[in-house]
Amino acid sequence: MSKQKTATNGLLPYPVIVAATHGDVDAINAVLKHYEGYICALSTRRLYDENGCPRMCVDEGLRRRLEAKLTVKFLIFIA
Amino acid sequence: MKPNSHEEHKRHAFDSFCKKILRNEARDHYDEMKRQRDREVSFSELLAQEMDMLFLMDKYPSEQFNFSVLGHEVAIESEIIAQAIAALPEEKRDIILLAYFLDMTDGEIGAMLNLVRRTVQYKRTSSLQELKKFMEGNVNE
Repeated sequence: MSKQKTATNGLLPYPVIVAATHGDVDAINAVLKHYEGYICALSTRRLYDENGCPRMCVDEGLRRRLEAKLTVKFLIFIA
Repeated sequence: MKPNSHEEHKRHAFDSFCKKILRNEARDHYDEMKRQRDREVSFSELLAQEMDMLFLMDKYPSEQFNFSVLGHEVAIESEIIAQAIAALPEEKRDIILLAYFLDMTDGEIGAMLNLVRRTVQYKRTSSLQELKKFMEGNVNE
């Protein structure tokens, strides 16, 4: 029951967090993967095509910037 | 559950930490874009007047026409004006140069050339008429 709950509450497993903050590459990738959706959501912008129709579009530049920032910054987290 | 409460807390803390990083970075990005939008102007939207401020033309002495009057050097850039002034008799030329290029009053010019102020004014206005005639003639040719 408790295990199922932790799997669904959208949090990374504790060992992954510890490994990631110590610089483990796989763990860092797992963290980036975990926040991929949120990063995309933040970097989605409303653009207008030539007919003036609004269209949601992921800003690639912003997406990479957020990813890079996260990779650099979460290392200072004290697990 | 109790032994895991620390880990549980850290997982939540890590989650909110990461989201905070991302949120603030995204906010920074949009702020920067807004700042840039506020300041950025495309070339096509510049007024002609502002475009003129973007460049400088070099001035070469060889492209200027020099006249000397009472020890002052006067440089004139426009060819047509220089020709017209050169065509004037010397006294009238001096008066024109002193009045319009050295910004002197009729009284001051009169004192320097030993003339009455009224005479200077008469010569100045008649020189202007001559210049006008000369330059209109030039244009018509």
